[in-house]
Amino acid sequence: MATLSHDTIIIGGGLAGLTAALHLAERGRRPLVLEADPVHVGGRLKARPDVTFEHAGQLWRFGSEHGVHGVWSPYRNLQAMLARHHIRPVLVPAQEEAWVLAHGRRVRHADIGSAIRNSWIPAPFHYLGMFARPRFWTMMSVRNFVSLFRVLPTLLAALSIDPLAEDQPLYGLTLAEVCKGWSPDMTSLFTGLSRNALPANPDQIPASGFFAFLRFYTLRRRDAWAFSYFPTDSARAVIAPLLEVLHRLGGEVIVGAQVTRLARVEDRWCVEAAGRAFTATHVILATDAPATAALLRASPATTAQAAGLRLPGGWPSAVVRLWFARAPERRGAEAGIFSGDFVPDNFFWLHRIYDDYIRWARATGGSALEAHIYGPPELLALPDAALLAQVIADVTRVWPELKGHLLHTALTRNEATHTLLHAGRPEEHLGVITPWPNLFCCGDWVRDANPAMFMERACVTGIKAANAVLQAYDVATWPLLAAPRPEPLAWAIEMDMRNIRLRMKARRK
Amino acid sequence: MSHTWINYALNLARMAVAATPLRPLVVAYCLTTYCNLNCVYCEDFGARRNALQPPPLPLDDAKRLLAIIRRATSSLILTGGEPLLYPDLAALLAYARHDLRFRHVTLLTNAALLHESLNVLPLLDRLMVSVDAADPTLWEQTIGAPSGAAQIIRDNVIAAARRQKADGFRLVINCVVTPETLAQVPAVLDWCAGHGMLFSFSPQSANNWPRYALLVSQEYRDLVMAMIARKRHGAPILGSMAYLQMVWGFDPYPCYPLLAPRVMPDGGLAYPCRPIERAGDAHGGHDVNLLEVGDWRKAVQHAMEVYGAPPSTCGSCYQQCYVEPSLMQARPWALLSELLLYKASRQGGIATYAPG
Repeated sequence: MATLSHDTIIIGGGLAGLTAALHLAERGRRPLVLEADPVHVGGRLKARPDVTFEHAGQLWRFGSEHGVHGVWSPYRNLQAMLARHHIRPVLVPAQEEAWVLAHGRRVRHADIGSAIRNSWIPAPFHYLGMFARPRFWTMMSVRNFVSLFRVLPTLLAALSIDPLAEDQPLYGLTLAEVCKGWSPDMTSLFTGLSRNALPANPDQIPASGFFAFLRFYTLRRRDAWAFSYFPTDSARAVIAPLLEVLHRLGGEVIVGAQVTRLARVEDRWCVEAAGRAFTATHVILATDAPATAALLRASPATTAQAAGLRLPGGWPSAVVRLWFARAPERRGAEAGIFSGDFVPDNFFWLHRIYDDYIRWARATGGSALEAHIYGPPELLALPDAALLAQVIADVTRVWPELKGHLLHTALTRNEATHTLLHAGRPEEHLGVITPWPNLFCCGDWVRDANPAMFMERACVTGIKAANAVLQAYDVATWPLLAAPRPEPLAWAIEMDMRNIRLRMKARRK
Repeated sequence: MSHTWINYALNLARMAVAATPLRPLVVAYCLTTYCNLNCVYCEDFGARRNALQPPPLPLDDAKRLLAIIRRATSSLILTGGEPLLYPDLAALLAYARHDLRFRHVTLLTNAALLHESLNVLPLLDRLMVSVDAADPTLWEQTIGAPSGAAQIIRDNVIAAARRQKADGFRLVINCVVTPETLAQVPAVLDWCAGHGMLFSFSPQSANNWPRYALLVSQEYRDLVMAMIARKRHGAPILGSMAYLQMVWGFDPYPCYPLLAPRVMPDGGLAYPCRPIERAGDAHGGHDVNLLEVGDWRKAVQHAMEVYGAPPSTCGSCYQQCYVEPSLMQARPWALLSELLLYKASRQGGIATYAPG
């Protein structure tokens, strides 16, 4: 087997891997990216087969994807990276997000997203802005009001604990435990919210991940809950231009290179992939959590220490797209969460988000909805037809006027790569710096004190991994942009709560 | 006839119930997209792109357009390209001022040709000039001008500054902060203070995002902190404290682009904002023409039907013309404290907060 020598090999061509590669290439290194997918790079942002169908006498073609539609306002490092290379797409600011709640035939909905982010009440009490929306009142029973007094302490607790910076895993405490005693509707709202970020059942979602999610996306700043859509699917909007820049800067990408084994040969790493062997001084592992676990456990050089690590599992999901010959009567929010007895967990009206869908809708008067299903496993185990039928039933329960107007359906099943965020001690969780020499790790599941999540976390850890390599070559490293500061009131409460907690802890000792 | 403050009050009510669209506080009309300079930070126009630009409107059509704008707001910004290249500028300004009775008229110019157009000064409430550096060589490099141009502009600006009282307008210097001109900014502020001019600044954008070198620059943050401190101590800095604090950390902000919409030279409404309009495609454009529709509200309504409702949140371009009115509209207490605490902010009313 011929051996090809490189100074840095990046295993995994998702956003984290491409970020690391780009930052190395910008500093004059020539990284090699090995991607397991036979055709596409991009990980959860990669291109999927197009969907085509005939309608109004014309053949229509639509891009397909994993279901990542844009960025949140705290995703600063990602946006800065794209802007620096003039490949940041002109993002489309989100208008509104709805909360749709159903129990049986009773379906209620309220537009609450803009009420939270544009609230006049400072964080962390900005959620009270939802009460300015009359429809929100229709969702609030007496029990829900009473429940608010139980929700508030949870929010304050989340404000006082930073599980990521403090390495607080809160073992044993799950979202189900946190929501104990809340009204069913409040539980539904928070479960619905967190399922969209941490796609598992409430009794499986660690409270540490839930708190980290609340802190990063909404609790400390009103405008953290501000979302901007890509103008087209993420593969075209982000990955394709990123790859072009990487190639231009001298980076190399090999697709179809499933890495099967890592070995330590003298002071270099030997990476075996698709019947070829590559050696490198530095290796950056940028694969998803399950793939990383499999590789570390299968490689003799890493297997012993990997056995002692808590490596998070991945969760599968399904993405359903429905095309209708007409649009809903009420314009409403372009996206939202489903809670209660719905099968799907969220929805996006694509004909109001993506350029190609908008053009189609304008030409035909149709509409297109995407819904994500994050579980439970027994639901995802259903055959495609059964899953589609349930989603269609749910969608027409909310928008009955769409009944009989379904044009086309598409269902994509995502691999079990979406990961629950874990926090905890460095010796238990894999961080950017690993127990092995010159082997670094990046991805949205990697342990790090940075509060960033998902794409931003992939980007932050990708930059940190690149910096670790650059340091070894004594080359200037990349600065990281801090997450936006908390609002003054949220910051003051956070400090007070933390001090109280630490004092109580000290007294207990 | 709309008035800016009435629009402001109505907007507060509309925001409380999440109604769209908001009424404009100020409208910026790009008289011409021709320019005589090539500023490095300009992603829109510049002399190098003149051949690609459409001709400006004839005077009569431009007057008709201003009449439509006047029904929407009482504050007007005339900009470009370079508005002094518009051949009938004085006549158009006289019409805006005397016939249409705009309450607040601003001209945004690079001042390279100002010595040929001093007759427009009495027709203005505010003259806004871009000065990006104190050092002439660096300034000329920044604006893509030949040697000697900086001195001409400087002379023009000083001449205009001397006429402020007599002609009844305020002169504002706007400085685009680039990583290269960062160190020059305090000197520009000192120069402004020395000549009785107001000073404002905005960070350079690239690809609708603050330029990376500024984002990660401690010197930039130190500069903004110094500007905040100087404003507190009475320096003539135009730009709200909320804006200065926001551009210190490049925090996200609520953005309501229709508070300060731009109208392109042909009368097309840049919807919903210039960055999205420029990208074109399905989310924005300038296909809705005010001259064809004949009415501001109908034009906005039509644009909403074509492109969807305008955004209410964006953390994107950090362009002062959009950020300032949005912040002041979304945070009335911030506007109130500005007006109460800072003299510079009182000189120009609410339209002060959209320097363009």
